Amino acid sequence: MYTDEELSALLQNPERQRNVFEAIVRQYSEQLYWTIRRMVLSHDDANDVLQNTLLKAWNGLSTFHGESKLSTWLSRIAINESVDFLRRQKARATLSTDDDSGLANTLLADEYFDGDETQALLQEAVAKLPDVQRTVFQLRYFEDMKYSEMSRMLNTSEGSLKASYHIAVKKISDFFKSHD
Amino acid sequence: MHERQKSMINEERYLVERVGRENPFRVPEGYFDTLVSEVMARVDATAPPAPRKARVVWLRPVLYAAASVCALFFSVTAYHAFNRQPADAPVAQQMETVSHQSEDSFEEAADYLMVDNQDIYACLSSDY
Repeated sequence: MYTDEELSALLQNPERQRNVFEAIVRQYSEQLYWTIRRMVLSHDDANDVLQNTLLKAWNGLSTFHGESKLSTWLSRIAINESVDFLRRQKARATLSTDDDSGLANTLLADEYFDGDETQALLQEAVAKLPDVQRTVFQLRYFEDMKYSEMSRMLNTSEGSLKASYHIAVKKISDFFKSHD
Repeated sequence: MHERQKSMINEERYLVERVGRENPFRVPEGYFDTLVSEVMARVDATAPPAPRKARVVWLRPVLYAAASVCALFFSVTAYHAFNRQPADAPVAQQMETVSHQSEDSFEEAADYLMVDNQDIYACLSSDY
C-alpha cells in the first residue's frame, strides 16, 4: 500500500510507470468502482465506465503533474466518464421515448441489487436530479466527502456545491413525502 | 444557526431516517480479484502516448514569425512585379511573371529561414 504522494513520485520515472500504474489500479479501483456504480447503477455499465476511466488515466499520465492528489485526479476522471455515460444513456432513452418511471422496478429485478423497495425508490429519485445535483448528492450523502475536496475535484465553489446538495436533499425528501 | 441551515439539517435527517445510507449494490463473486489483470491486459494493448516533442513547441513562435516574414516578402515582391510591368502588357504574361517570381521568392525565403514543409506541418498540426 503506497501513499498518494509516493505513487505520484514513482510515476515520474517512465521506466516504472507500468508497474506503478498496476499498483494504482490495485489500490484505487474499488473506491472508483463504487463512485461510478452509484452514478450508473448497473454493474455491467459500472465495469465499462471504470475500465474506460482507468484507460483514460493511463493514456493521460503525462498530463498528471501532481498539482492535485492522485485520488482526486482519478475521481475527477471517473465522475466525468460517469456523467458522459449518463448523458449518452439519456439521449438514447429520449430517442426511444423511454423514461425513468420503471427504474425502481428494474433495480429490484437486478441480481446485483440487494436493496429493498425504499432503496430502489431512493435511486429512482436521485436519477431524476440534474447531473450536478446528482453527482454532489452521491458524493456527499453516500461517500461523506468534504465540500473542500469536492470543490477541488469538480472545479466548483464550495458555496455552489452546498446549494446543489441542499436542493438535491430537498427534492428527494419531497419525493418521499409524496410517497408517504 | 441560519434558518436555511436548520432546514437543510432537518431535511437530511428525515432522509437518513427514512431511507438510510446503506449501499444496496453488490458485485459478482471475485470481481475485484480479476479486475486488475483485465485492466492491465487492456493497458498493455495500448502504448502510452509519446510525450509531445519539445522542439516543435519551442520553435512555434519562430515558425509563426517565419510564416509572417514569408507572407510579407511575397506581398512586397508581388507588388513590385505588378508595378514594373508596362500598362499594356497582356494580363497572362503578368500573371506568369508574378507566379515565377513568387515561387522563386518563397523558395529563397524558405532556404534563408531554414524551415521545411515538415516544420510548417508540425507547427500547424500541434494544438495550443
